[in-house]
Amino acid sequence: MNLLGIAWRNIRQRWLTSLLTALSLALGVALVVATLVTGGLVKQAFESGAGLGYNMIVGAKGSPLQLVLNSVYFISKPIENISWEFYQQFLPAAERADGIDGTFASSSKTAVPICMGDYFKGFRVIGTNAAFFNRITRGDGQPFAFSSGSNFRDDDFFAGVLGATVAAKLGLKTGDRFAPTHGADDGKVHDPFTVAGVLARTDTPVDRGVFVNMEGFYLQDGHAKPVADDATAVALAPAVAQLSGAPAPLPAAQREVTAILLETAAPPGLPGMPPLPAELTAMGLRTAINEGRDGQAAQPIAEIRQLLDLFVRPLELLLLLVTALVVLVSAMGILVSMVGSALERSRDVAIMRALGARRSHVLATVLIEAMLLAVGGGLVGWLLGHLLVGAIGPWISTNAGVSASLFSSVPLAEALLVPFLILLAIAAALLPAIAAYRTDVSKWLQGPG
Amino acid sequence: MANPIIDLIDVRKSFAMPGGETVDVLDIPRFSVAAGEHCALEGQSGSGKSTLLNVISGIMRPDAGRVLLDGIDLARIPEAGRDRVRADKLGLVFQSFNLLPGFTALENVLVAMAFGSERPDRARAASLLEAVGLQHRLNHKPSALSTGQQQRVAVARALANRPRVVLADEPTASIDAAHQQQVIDLLRNTCSQQNVALVVVTHAPEVAEQFPRRIRLEQFNRAAAGHRH
Repeated sequence: MNLLGIAWRNIRQRWLTSLLTALSLALGVALVVATLVTGGLVKQAFESGAGLGYNMIVGAKGSPLQLVLNSVYFISKPIENISWEFYQQFLPAAERADGIDGTFASSSKTAVPICMGDYFKGFRVIGTNAAFFNRITRGDGQPFAFSSGSNFRDDDFFAGVLGATVAAKLGLKTGDRFAPTHGADDGKVHDPFTVAGVLARTDTPVDRGVFVNMEGFYLQDGHAKPVADDATAVALAPAVAQLSGAPAPLPAAQREVTAILLETAAPPGLPGMPPLPAELTAMGLRTAINEGRDGQAAQPIAEIRQLLDLFVRPLELLLLLVTALVVLVSAMGILVSMVGSALERSRDVAIMRALGARRSHVLATVLIEAMLLAVGGGLVGWLLGHLLVGAIGPWISTNAGVSASLFSSVPLAEALLVPFLILLAIAAALLPAIAAYRTDVSKWLQGPG
Repeated sequence: MANPIIDLIDVRKSFAMPGGETVDVLDIPRFSVAAGEHCALEGQSGSGKSTLLNVISGIMRPDAGRVLLDGIDLARIPEAGRDRVRADKLGLVFQSFNLLPGFTALENVLVAMAFGSERPDRARAASLLEAVGLQHRLNHKPSALSTGQQQRVAVARALANRPRVVLADEPTASIDAAHQQQVIDLLRNTCSQQNVALVVVTHAPEVAEQFPRRIRLEQFNRAAAGHRH
């Protein structure tokens, strides 16, 4: 039997107190782990969204953060709409009815319109065109993949694509039909759309999106902008206007878009020089748009960084502080337990000292006992924390658009947990260990004479 | 005495009382025990028996003098050294047995081994318990053992680290007359088998008279009458 065995025997001797002490620590650690993991996932959700395959969002003037939250994460309300004519300024000649490049066309590599305001069973409906899935990437540079079906065609007005979470949650599959509602879940029910494809999981907000062809979206009640009769003269782009067999598209003058997802083009480089970064164009374009009256340009990454710095990180720190306090209270539990143990075991300590145990043996035994409680409680807490994350995983997945499971982790912080707990245990057990160290053998074993 | 295993020379120990008074407890010009010798040490309550055992076992350091245990002067080495000597060369049997209540009989013996120089040996611990007739009680905790069985565990534990000396402090005081003889026989027989010196402190004449050497503490401790300064 070595010191570890003696410490373990001491724990077993006071199994109820030891169990309760370890359990209180386990609960504290479970909270810390759950907070760290979910905090990491939420950050990941924001950062992955901000890294989608575009670097600018153009929308109505107002809060740039609101524009980003609404357009990228499908949370918050749209600010307002921007005009169809303004959207056209980002398109090249080939995509415009007048065959002339838009004002900002040379600075735009890809401009994808989105129209929002409808819902389907709690999920946001996004009217867009096929370019959303054909030209924008998932953020990691990879194109969107479909787990079934394929992207909708621009000439199939009443087709749509479902994010992975939406399809899984609502049990919808390719070929099924769904009818969005106007403005809210209990709003007026629109015409049904057919599911053309279901996206493979992306772990981005796209998983929570219901994407429909914006031509079908425009034809729903309440989606046409009221205009004077003579305004319908504005022509539509060839891709929409020249379709045959499709319902008549909404006239251009009655159209608006909520936002434009924009990938800026790299500026033309000088001969013999390396290509210039697209960010240079973005800076100039952003200034030009923001100085104008038609809308604003926001950079998702900058806005999200600001959001993280201003709200998420302080909130995360606050949560960590609270959970750290819980762990500290648990550590106090260890202290109380060890003090009780030391008082109860003064005679045992004296016996061991009489048998030849050095003071350092006694000190080490108490510290090992505390460390066993801390590490044992910590490991149980770590497991409980992951079980907790696994249990609320579906909720996180639905609301944050990232997959959270039993195996989601923050490796660095979790790796530091055990050394931290050992230090905590040593700190908590130091006083009782010193008390045991100072045990007066002759006092406790004194016989008559 | 040639080659004494215990040799106390001019040992003095006194305690300061709360009122500032100093009480001499030990004043021993010379006291020796030979290797393998068995002796009974008699003394009245308050005669300094416990202090003497604490000094011989190195739990206490004397104020003056030399305390030689197997040639090592415990009065001149630091506490950790005295602990090591106690673990390796001494076996202690207490009046109230002082078994560790949370540990089984076998573990009580193994704990003593944990502090000695040799690695704890489960088989040897079991054989020690077997030698005192407890082969069927190895995994019983003290609370599940009779008084006599607890005392046997205490004897087995005292022999755990192959000591040169066993000090027994009133080993029969807590047990009934029927078991007293068994305990004395057990101590004497086991110590004889292993050539271990045995010093039994007792105030019971019927116990003391069974030992070849019988000494009254007052005979060699000049402070036994309680000189006060």
